[in-house]
Amino acid sequence: MRGLLSFPEEGVPGLERLSIGHGAGGSLTQELIDQITDRFDGSPLADGEDCAILPGGFAVTIDGYTVSPLSFEGGDIGKLSVCGSVNDLSVRGAKPLYLALGVIAEEGFPVRELLGYMESAAAVCRSLGIELVTGDSKVVPRGQVDGLFLSTCCLGRMVREDPLGAVNLRPGDAVILTCPPGLHGATIAAHRYGLKARGLSSDCAALWPMLESILPVSGLRCMRDCTRGGLATVLCEWSERAGLGIEIDESLIPWDEAALSVCDLLGFEPLHMAGEGCAAVAVEEGEAQRTVTLLKGYSLGERASVIGRVTKEHPGLVGIRTHSGGTRLVDRPVGELLPRIC
Amino acid sequence: MQAHRPGDPRKRVELLSKALSELADPPIKVMEVCGTHTVSIFRQGLRTLLPAKISLVSGPGCPVCVTSQGEIDAALSLASREDTTIATYGDMLRVPGTGTTLAEERSRGADVRVITSADEALSLAMNDRTRSVVFLAVGFETTAPATASVVLDAWREGLDNFMVLDLHKSVPPALGALASDPDVNLDAFLLPGHVSVITGLATYRFLPERFGIACAVAGFEAEGIMMALVEVARQIRMKRPRVASLYSRAVRPQGNVAARNVMDRVFTLGDAPWRGLGVIPSSGFFLRKEFARFDAVERLGVAVKETPPPVGCRCGEVLKGLIDPPFCDLFGRSCTPAHPVGPCMVSTEGSCAAYYRFQKRGYLDWKD
Repeated sequence: MRGLLSFPEEGVPGLERLSIGHGAGGSLTQELIDQITDRFDGSPLADGEDCAILPGGFAVTIDGYTVSPLSFEGGDIGKLSVCGSVNDLSVRGAKPLYLALGVIAEEGFPVRELLGYMESAAAVCRSLGIELVTGDSKVVPRGQVDGLFLSTCCLGRMVREDPLGAVNLRPGDAVILTCPPGLHGATIAAHRYGLKARGLSSDCAALWPMLESILPVSGLRCMRDCTRGGLATVLCEWSERAGLGIEIDESLIPWDEAALSVCDLLGFEPLHMAGEGCAAVAVEEGEAQRTVTLLKGYSLGERASVIGRVTKEHPGLVGIRTHSGGTRLVDRPVGELLPRIC
Repeated sequence: MQAHRPGDPRKRVELLSKALSELADPPIKVMEVCGTHTVSIFRQGLRTLLPAKISLVSGPGCPVCVTSQGEIDAALSLASREDTTIATYGDMLRVPGTGTTLAEERSRGADVRVITSADEALSLAMNDRTRSVVFLAVGFETTAPATASVVLDAWREGLDNFMVLDLHKSVPPALGALASDPDVNLDAFLLPGHVSVITGLATYRFLPERFGIACAVAGFEAEGIMMALVEVARQIRMKRPRVASLYSRAVRPQGNVAARNVMDRVFTLGDAPWRGLGVIPSSGFFLRKEFARFDAVERLGVAVKETPPPVGCRCGEVLKGLIDPPFCDLFGRSCTPAHPVGPCMVSTEGSCAAYYRFQKRGYLDWKD
């Protein structure tokens, strides 16, 4: 994307070109998205959820995948490209049905490797009964993309009548996390910076049908998959959108020690690290235990836990009670996650 | 974020806080020197647990923050050279120089690579001998030994395309400058953990002996930091300031002699500019004459000029612990982590960034 887009007239002083940070899912990304959607009046993006709900009970989402390395512990770009879109539908209570797939590959890319990734993508579709209905492939001259970019668009049907969303949040609601935070991000970071973390693996997986199992819970408020920007970004968006506070407890979060070590070494905030099979779920307090039990019925949700609650206090802010008992704000990442000096 | 240990860590921290409250009479002002401490203290919410009698101020221990404006501009001018690859630690990428940043230059096509070790910078040079690779060598005693070691490697290899923009600084002289500044007025230092692993303890003795300042090296977990605070409060109470280590599993009294030998072989100490603190005598690690061909300043003719900081930026006062970041007029208004003006708002270890991230809008109204 280098240099393709610029917004000189409303550009931030001195930053009128895109930086990597604009794609990192933090506040810079939000600024860019706002500038784009400003040009499309009445865009459904305005509700800020993971997928759009269309008239007639359909839901649709689109996403691009540019992971490096293409293959990692726990998955590859093919699996990721289907799971990512499936998850965007799942968290709004839509059953994924049809897939459109775009492939942009670099000249010289090994065909066998490409087909391997396509096999991973197909395997996820098979297991969920998703049909590939249309696609597109482009090969571009060497150097114009880094190996392989995929994009997927997934169409689904709403299973639950009343739409889930952050506007449903009420004080007292419980916040549940379905698995340890940041596993995918930590796995990729470990690769990128040459760290060996034993036992660390991406959580890349389809959240459907696990999330389908909790759709009948009547007090279900909203769900989000904690991808780019991590759990912190999801909770900050919820609290801002609902105009309520959220408090989580560090000692209730189902941490993964290997992911924590990677973050510790690189100076990354674990709550900012992406997951690719990890959802935050908000539910009426009285139904929290039942929801956790349902989630624990799936291997993907075996560490599901209540990690906090929604409050009237400090609207728009997310707080965490730390292991030592102190409290602090939880913030969103700003731009590219950069390893620190020492 | 520490792993769970047996017993209730919240109880233990509470007890330490109580002890601190009893010892700190009259109130004391403590500077945590190291940026990793600053962030650790905020991330663990320790400020919300400290008795009001402890005033904790952040010091000049974030390597990016103390890098002077002129030094950053020198790095940027190197990045604009077509045949040059810049290898840098990630923190430096978004620090504003005069008018631009390395990240912005990268988006315009400059070859700027983020590395996590000096070795990686050397590998870049070995793998492509057609380009000059300049390593932005930033940091204190923690990263300087690794730089010294790769300079020795490059020298042994006879490598011609590897250079260093050497901005390394030494912590103890900066503490001396703060201790002798009548405006700063500190009772105690929480000494840095990682730096002390290399320096050992003796180098700090002048602080209690000449200035009567209590000192303790602290680890990075909540209890380690609280114990170090209790230690300095006790020293002050007993009127017996000294250099104590509460981080003995990592810091040996003599430090890391091998690392210091490598540094001595490659570097010599000279006067260096610190943002906010000015030029501090014998506080910069400069390449010795025999390694001059690895010095980007010598080889490529870049100059480190004296450049004034951005208008209104009070990073300098923040770095001396004279003001808390929210007292700067730019804080949270024109200077935020997304659009930083000064380096203290950019670096993950900068105290402005830490205040903004973890405490921007005051303490949470937390109900149990």
